[in-house]
Amino acid sequence: MNPNRILTLSARFVLGGVFVYAGFDKILHPSAFAEVVYNYKILPDELINLTAIILPCLELVLGTFLIIRFWMPGTVVMSNLVLITFIGALVFNMARGLDVNCGCFSATAVESSMNILTVLRDTSFLTIAVYLLYSCVFHKN
Amino acid sequence: MAIFRSIKKNRVKTYKFNYSQVAWQACAMFAMSILLGLAINQFRPDRLPLLGDWSIKAKLVTANGDRLEISFEEAEKLFMEKSALFIDARSMDDYANGHIPGARSLPWHDVDRWFVEVTEDISPDTLIITYCEDITCDLSCDLALFLLEMGFKNARVLLDGWAVWLKSRLPVEKGNDVS
Repeated sequence: MNPNRILTLSARFVLGGVFVYAGFDKILHPSAFAEVVYNYKILPDELINLTAIILPCLELVLGTFLIIRFWMPGTVVMSNLVLITFIGALVFNMARGLDVNCGCFSATAVESSMNILTVLRDTSFLTIAVYLLYSCVFHKN
Repeated sequence: MAIFRSIKKNRVKTYKFNYSQVAWQACAMFAMSILLGLAINQFRPDRLPLLGDWSIKAKLVTANGDRLEISFEEAEKLFMEKSALFIDARSMDDYANGHIPGARSLPWHDVDRWFVEVTEDISPDTLIITYCEDITCDLSCDLALFLLEMGFKNARVLLDGWAVWLKSRLPVEKGNDVS
């Protein structure tokens, strides 16, 4: 098999797995995730519950579509946008000194507070997403 | 020049990006997520209301329906009678810059670290009043709910907190000797 295809396949499965795992736990614990969204203090109160209801499903849909290779252009672009939004929210709250639970993978478990490692972890996922953007969307298959 | 033209031509041939395809797929996925999220929420026992009340006042109601809020007048009276213990939920720096006399510092953001040290000699029946900066600050509310969870039966919140205390020209203490 072509090494590029192996790399793309691995990237799809890793990023897809990450999205499915992250979305699934939040779907199981909507109230705890709503509390996490509230603690970020970015969205207006009216959007907190809606975000807690919809965002985990978006992660689940993106993860599933990445794994089954469905609607790749839209899926990969959305994955990049979602990850950029997550990193932006983390950096914004770190910059203003708000020390809250990241809530990235689990809404209930006591995760460590957001820090530079959390941002680096999300940036590594974004690197994978950018690679997929190059290989699946821009590059002619 | 011929080489450059050839590279440019090949580059145009090699890369493609179909904006309309990306746009409709992204919109369709977003719509699917909304429908899926609403459907799951509709059929679960612990359903979230679509519009939740996330105001600080709404947070001040315990699971039993008791209100945690205490009025400034009442807090002032309890302070004068020395019949309540005030706990400052702000950072230690803010506490050191000025706090209610006799108040202890238990910063909400570091509560796990300081909780035992600050509260080990407090009886569970003690009337505790938490406060933070002003009405927009919810650290005092989070701290009071946490104290109730940890077994302190009489935790209350002075909502207007430090701002109204200063405004009323009541006594102020500086430094961090108390905690």
